[in-house]
Order: sequence, then C-alpha cells, then structure tokens
Amino acid sequence: MTESIHNSRIRKWLAASPPVTWGVRKLRELLIGALRQGPIPLHVAFVMDGNRRFARDHKIETVEGHNLGFEALARILEVCYKTGVKVVTIYAFSIENFKRSKYEVDALMDMAKLKLGQLSEHGALLDRYGASIRILGQRELVKPDVLDAIDKAVALTAGNKRAILNVCFPYTSRDEITSAVKKTIDVYSKPTGSHPSLSKRPFSETHITQNIRQQMLKTVPEEPSDQSSSSRSASPASSKEQGSADAGHSSATSTLMNRSEKGDAHLAPPSFPDPETMTAETLTNNMLTAGAPPLDLLVRTSGVQRLSDFMLWQCHENTSIVFLDCLWPEFDLWQFLPVLVEWQWQRKKIQEHDRGRGRQKME
Amino acid sequence: MATKGYGPKESTALRRGTVEGRPLTPKERERMLKSYLPPEPPSSSPSPSRSSTPYQRRHHHKKRRTGIVRHAVHVAIYAIIAAFFSIYFRFRRAYRLVKSKLAAVLFYHHRTPEFIQRDIRKLDRLPKHLSVIVDFHESDEDQGTAGIEGLMNDVCEIAAWTVSAGIPNLSIYERTGKLKNYMPNTHSAISLTLESYFGPRRKPTLSLRAPHLQSYSPPRTPDFSTQDPAEAKHDRQHLNVLLLSAEDGRDTLLDLTKTLSQMSQNGNLHQAQITADLIDAELREAVSEEPDLLILFGPTVVLKGYPPWQLRLTEIFHLPDNKGVNYQVFIRALHNFSRAEMRLGR
Repeated sequence: MTESIHNSRIRKWLAASPPVTWGVRKLRELLIGALRQGPIPLHVAFVMDGNRRFARDHKIETVEGHNLGFEALARILEVCYKTGVKVVTIYAFSIENFKRSKYEVDALMDMAKLKLGQLSEHGALLDRYGASIRILGQRELVKPDVLDAIDKAVALTAGNKRAILNVCFPYTSRDEITSAVKKTIDVYSKPTGSHPSLSKRPFSETHITQNIRQQMLKTVPEEPSDQSSSSRSASPASSKEQGSADAGHSSATSTLMNRSEKGDAHLAPPSFPDPETMTAETLTNNMLTAGAPPLDLLVRTSGVQRLSDFMLWQCHENTSIVFLDCLWPEFDLWQFLPVLVEWQWQRKKIQEHDRGRGRQKME
Repeated sequence: MATKGYGPKESTALRRGTVEGRPLTPKERERMLKSYLPPEPPSSSPSPSRSSTPYQRRHHHKKRRTGIVRHAVHVAIYAIIAAFFSIYFRFRRAYRLVKSKLAAVLFYHHRTPEFIQRDIRKLDRLPKHLSVIVDFHESDEDQGTAGIEGLMNDVCEIAAWTVSAGIPNLSIYERTGKLKNYMPNTHSAISLTLESYFGPRRKPTLSLRAPHLQSYSPPRTPDFSTQDPAEAKHDRQHLNVLLLSAEDGRDTLLDLTKTLSQMSQNGNLHQAQITADLIDAELREAVSEEPDLLILFGPTVVLKGYPPWQLRLTEIFHLPDNKGVNYQVFIRALHNFSRAEMRLGR
C-alpha cells in the first residue's frame, strides 16, 4: 500500500517536472496541427456535465468540481480554436439549474463573475485568440452584478471576428424557440402600410398536402363541403410539387376565394407582411445562434444520453451527437481527439457516398 | 497533470489567483500564459515589405522554411492518425457486428410475447411512450430491407415488440413520411404481425394515427369470444401507433408561428400570451407528447429532423456501429432506460 502511494507521488512529481510538461505541450501542439489537416467542424457544442459527480467521486467540494470543470473548458477551447473551429457553444447554466441549492447557484454565479472579470483584464491577449464572447439566454434571471461583468466581457471582445464563444447562461432550448417564435410574430405584426394586401394568400401549403393525403385514404369518409373550406392556398412552390393532382381542385375554388378576398381588402386598412412568406430560415435567424454555421458536432460528457433542453432546434437535423462516459473535468484533448477523428472519418464516408450517388445519377 | 501540459505552479496560480502566497497581477498572468497562446495573427505583425533589413528577411526566410517542415510533419501525422483510426473503426465495426449477430442467435424472441416479457421482467421501469427512428432505404444493399415493404416489415416487428413489452404508446419517425400514404396497409400489416405474435384470441387492439390525419382504426375484427365480450376486452392490450415525419418538426412549428402571427395581426393575440406552455400545449395536441425513450437503429446519433420540441428530456439510445432494426437494440435500450436517472436540472 505504502509502496503504491510512494510510486504515485514519484509519478506526480515526474509528470509535473518542466521537461515533461514541455514535451506534453509540444505533443499537444503537434496533434492539434495534425488534426487541422482534415475537415474540421465549424460549430461544436458541449454539454459540460459531470462536475458534481467528479467532486463527489474525488471527495472534494462541489464548487471545486465546477472550478475544475472551468479549467477543462479552457483546455478544450484551446484545442477547438487552434484546430480551426469557428463557433463553440457551451451549456453553462440551465434555467432549470436555479432549482439547485442557493449556495451552489451563488458559487457558480461568483465564478462566472470572477472569470469574466479576469478575462476583461487582458484585452490585448483576447485579440490574439480573436474569439468574441456571446451570452445566450434569459438575461432577466441574472443578478445585476454578474450582468455587469458579462456586458463588460462581451463589449471587450465584440470586435473579434475570427471565432465565437457562445455561452448559454440561463438557457433552455424551449425558451429559445419560444422567444424566436415571439420575435418572428413581432416582426410580422408590424403594419407595413407600403403596399396593400395583394400578396395575401389564404392558403397554406401544408394544408394541401394534408388534404391530398386524406383524399388518398379513400376509406376515411369525408364531406365534400369540408374540402373547399379547409384547403386554403396555392403558393407557387406548392403548385409545382403537387402538379396536376391539385390543378382542377384549386381552379374550382379560386374564383370563390377571389371574391371573398376583394371584400376583405376593403374592410382591413392596415396591411401586414404575409405570414406565408415565413420559412424555417426565418425562425432559424431569430434563434439565439443566428448567423452561426450549422451545428456539426454536439458532445455531452458523463454518459447521460439526453439533450436536456439544449440546442434542440440546432441539432435535430444532421448534427453528429456524441455521448461520452468521462466526466467533464476529465475531458481533454485525449478524449476529444478520437471524437474528432471519428467525425472526420464519418464526414469522409458521407462525402464518398454522396459522390458515388452523384455518379450513379449521371449514368 | 502531465496530460495537460502545465506545471503545478501555473495551475495553483490560475486556480487561486495567487503565486507564492501573494495575489497574481494581470501582468504576471499574461507572462505566465504567453507560451500557451497561439502565435500573433499575421495581420498585426509588420508586413514583410521590401524595406525590411537583410537580417529580417533572412529571419523571415528561416521562419518560412520551418513552417514548411512543420506543415509536412503535420500532414504526415494526420495521415498516420487517419490510417490508424480507419483500421481501428473497421475492426471495431466487424467485432460489434459479430457480437450482435451472436446475441441475435442466442437471445432470439421466437416471435413469442412471453419470451420478450421474460427479457424485461427484471426492469424497474418502462417508458410509457417509446419512439423509434427508422430509415427508408432506396437501394437493396441492406439485405431485404429496401423500399416500402422493408420499412413496413421493420415497423411491424417494432410494434409487436413494443406491445409485448407492455408499452402502450409507440411513435415511429421516418424522415420522408412515406408510410403516411399507406395508412390502411400499414394498419393491416401491423395487425397481421400482432396476430402472428399473440394468436387471434389475444391479439392486442391497435390504433394508427398520424398528425393532421384522422386516426385510422377500422371496425374491429369480429370477436372470437362472443360468449363473454366484457372479459375478452379487458384482457386485450391496446397499442397506439403514431407515424411521424420531417414535416411534423420544423414545418409544424412554422405553421404554428404563422397561425399565431395571423392571430396577432388580427388583434386576437397578445404578446404576453405566447409562452412555452402555449406552444407545448399546441404541439402536444397536434403532433405528440414527449417520448420517454428514443431508439435509433443507426450506427451514430443523428436525429435526421426528428421533431425538436418533443426531444427535450427524451432518453436517446443507440448501439454504436449497429445497422438496421433488430431486437438486441430494442431490448438493450429498455434495459438502459430503466437504469437512467432523471434529475431535471437539480
């Protein structure tokens, strides 16, 4: 027993000795430089999970666990930006986290304040990394003193264009989606007044597809009168898709709709932008991550296989989601390297597949 | 500490903000960090113009040469890493494939609900609402799972396992929504499979639904046990199957936004009335509730456009490197689910 303690002490001393740290640093740089040669995700998100469990496992205070988690974050940010990742998004604090003990919440807030304050002392160095900090989330829930520190750091780094660090501070994805919906509605509820409501289309594309589906279900009884009232609209895009199946139907209803539209135009003086011009893009642009490239990679540590209300809108399409078993404070280049390499490998596979498919089509 | 590339002095300094017992000044911190920082960006360094001195030029030359050497080393190491991992991934996939095939032979469910029930008997909790993502394959490279028929086959099997495990709700996501066009066929295919699992007397009742479409449950087949219909009804399980596709995700949320903004334009809706609860209630009704467990049958976790709003706290399960629908994934997902703890942010 004493032997092993002795050994581990020697190992610790050796590991901390200057030549070894220097060597490790060079090795890291070499690996990062090597990784740069392949495709690199433009946007990576992290759920920093496992700080508390790490603290529990190592019998240290929870707050200390969070501190170690912050260091892990610094290391991983270094790896990300040096390999060429443009945007890193981290889940620092969920709105749900306010349910935790007041002591822990306060400690986390203090830590955020301290670290952001330290950051603000080094304006010149921040330019070298070229990352600008953005805080995503519900500002109203944060205390004013923390908010001050946040604003200072954000203002100081606002000019940096090379990379972005999104810190989701009191954040949940549902809240984000809700505010995006709200913002969109806000824009569309402002009267334009410039041109009358000629562009107003009372139909919706999705309704038509639904109706076609229902017509295909011959067995489901449907009243004919119901069809003409519930199917509304033929925007150019939809008529292209639905083609002839729809042609007779829409021409039959169009005369009827035109009449009613004329009547409407007299009645409603303020005109609004047409809601039918909204696309998923509109919503995406109103999300908090607007302008960032699509999320390529989402990493969650500590073996929990859930999204926990994080980046739902951003990650549900083509994002590679990776769940790792290691706890966040242990997370480093050595855990991240296999993830990145596997991502690069998959990316190459997908590209090959697409190319093969393209060739098939050509033939 | 060794893996991080910095010594104990630095780590305490950065952690506590002190060095040798006294507080660290910003200047000192900058000096300490200097070696960890990336090189100066080219824009801020003096541009190598003609006016530079010979010494500077030679220095620059040397720098460029080391740059080329470093680049070559990086490319070489990248090639080595990529090659090594490529071999590793292939071996891992082969190993896992063999393992899963072995497991499939050893732990086969024999299309018998009792076997499936035995497999999950020890579990503390089961999901009330299970969701799966299945794929529509165009080509036939995946042994007989191509086209609508292959897809239908997968769906039927999953439905049978689900009801055998005693889970009442199943939602099936397929990106293109092809199955939605064949609701009656899907219904009869699933019923047939259920009958082959449970036999005609115990066959669970089934209702099939898709968002925005009327639920499809044709008149039930005449009861065999006409002598005591009340008891027979009590016995039978019921399965709700919901078909989802990509348009139930973003597009549905978009539709909701459109409708809400129309209401707002007409003055029927106030800003403050738009809340997460309202959206949740609407989507819950229009699409589905949050599933408790989502099973992916692909090799990696990619959600392929699954409705985002519903994914909030859903447990996501996948078996790495697995390809195609199989019972092992299903049963392991249930086992995994019963172990997972829910904390809801606490």
